[in-house]
Amino acid sequence: MSAVAGIGLRALHLAEIARDQPATGFLEIHAENYLGASPARAAIERLRESYTFSIHAVGLSLGSADGLDEHHLARVAGLVKRLEPDYVSDHLSWSVHGGRYFNDLLPLPYTEEVLDVVVRNVGRLQEALGRQVSIENPSCYLAFAHSTLTEPEFLAELARRSGCGLLLDINNIVVTAHNLRLDPNGWLSGLPGEAITEYHLAGHAVNDCDGEPILIDDHGSCVGPEAWALFDAAIRRYGVRPTLIEWDTDIPALSVLLDEAAKADRTIATAGPDAARAA
Amino acid sequence: MPLALPDLQAAFAAHVTGRDRADLVACIVGDTISADARLRIYRHHVSHSLSAALAATFPTVQALVGEGFFRTLAWGFMAQTLPGQPVLAEYGAEFPAFVAADEPARDLPYLADIAWLDWALNVVFHSPEGRRLAAADLAGIAAERLPLLSISLPEGASLIRSRYPIDRIWNASQPGASADTVDLGAGRTDLLVLRRGDDAAFIVLDAGEAAFVAALAEGMSLETAAEKGMSAEPAFDLSTAFARLLTLKAFAASQHNLEG
Repeated sequence: MSAVAGIGLRALHLAEIARDQPATGFLEIHAENYLGASPARAAIERLRESYTFSIHAVGLSLGSADGLDEHHLARVAGLVKRLEPDYVSDHLSWSVHGGRYFNDLLPLPYTEEVLDVVVRNVGRLQEALGRQVSIENPSCYLAFAHSTLTEPEFLAELARRSGCGLLLDINNIVVTAHNLRLDPNGWLSGLPGEAITEYHLAGHAVNDCDGEPILIDDHGSCVGPEAWALFDAAIRRYGVRPTLIEWDTDIPALSVLLDEAAKADRTIATAGPDAARAA
Repeated sequence: MPLALPDLQAAFAAHVTGRDRADLVACIVGDTISADARLRIYRHHVSHSLSAALAATFPTVQALVGEGFFRTLAWGFMAQTLPGQPVLAEYGAEFPAFVAADEPARDLPYLADIAWLDWALNVVFHSPEGRRLAAADLAGIAAERLPLLSISLPEGASLIRSRYPIDRIWNASQPGASADTVDLGAGRTDLLVLRRGDDAAFIVLDAGEAAFVAALAEGMSLETAAEKGMSAEPAFDLSTAFARLLTLKAFAASQHNLEG
């Protein structure tokens, strides 16, 4: 089967990809790195002729009670228009408050109040872009006592009410489930499969927190065994989707990312018949 | 008592920037890992990721002072100024002025100027290259109109004027540079920072050229800018300087430039 796994495009690999044009399912960029008229953006626009693209935003702050920053939204919309990517996504989180940006995917309580806010913000985003976007489950290090919905319930309701897609980050499920004492397979089982548009795969670190291990979503290593097993379970349950290898810290040689993508393709091929039936 | 989302986000914003909020802690599930410890993960990530973003924008400052001292500078700066929007390459415009005012950094009097240079290189890297003025563009302009032209710099370009040899300090701080010592008494430096192809670059100007370029950047005509050049450096020669800067593609070929 043809490659469906893609890789996150990092500045470090840009020249090599432009020169060698390696085969990969698609390239995903972080929107916020390509909003200026830099040579890197010109290089991306040239690559667009040879590759399928995904634009992954990290700063739209879809969970902000204040609503979206219209200036930033317009810049992201401009990039989407220039690049015409196949996929656009951001996270179920917030990162802006009172005009200050915290550069982190901060957590949300899962309540009806917050659902209204996120549905409204995702609706505004889809209206500004004139297309569907996908929302990614974040990695969580805490839970709010007043949450009334589970994360999968919240995502399912968000997809139903806003019409958005869901980007399932498999490693984030592993991280969140470990940190919040949840069952990752239970987490996975409660989603509307038809809304899932993409999978993300990445590595995580294990840190000490109050003398206990806590998993940190640092995207700084190969995909771990728990994430591979959960990925296999996800594609058997929901079917094959475009799948991304993400790597953001201690970025290795491009070949390491391509090897991880090939591994995802082998997992997909092995799960083939089940995955095809699920799709 | 759970906080409504606007209040919760205000409390969280305060907490991740170092002000403990008991009302927020009370909203969070703690177990064998306490709510405080869980919140600290976010606080830690915010400060480290923004410090790393500043290090990426000010690599020469970090090379000069080392990672530890740079982090201290970055945290001090972040306590005053957080990004106003999510494009991290646009965060840090106020950092050079912060470095200039920072007490511990005063032992390195050139450090703020290096920060200005790093910032100028960052700005110009994210600006469009644009078409540059060439001699041919001026061929059709009547000779008597030439002195009246105002010539603008390329978008994002800037002039950095320092009492220190910051070009040599910058060069010696690049990865792989030989460990030559730089004589801080070598005198002032004026640099024109601009996009060149796929890179951000700087041109070293002499005193006359710097005064000339500064005057052009302020919108003065060629004739007036040339006078500024001569008063800064009596040996300044307009045709020599202008021809050199044209060759270095130092001016924008904007319609405005050609219409005068």
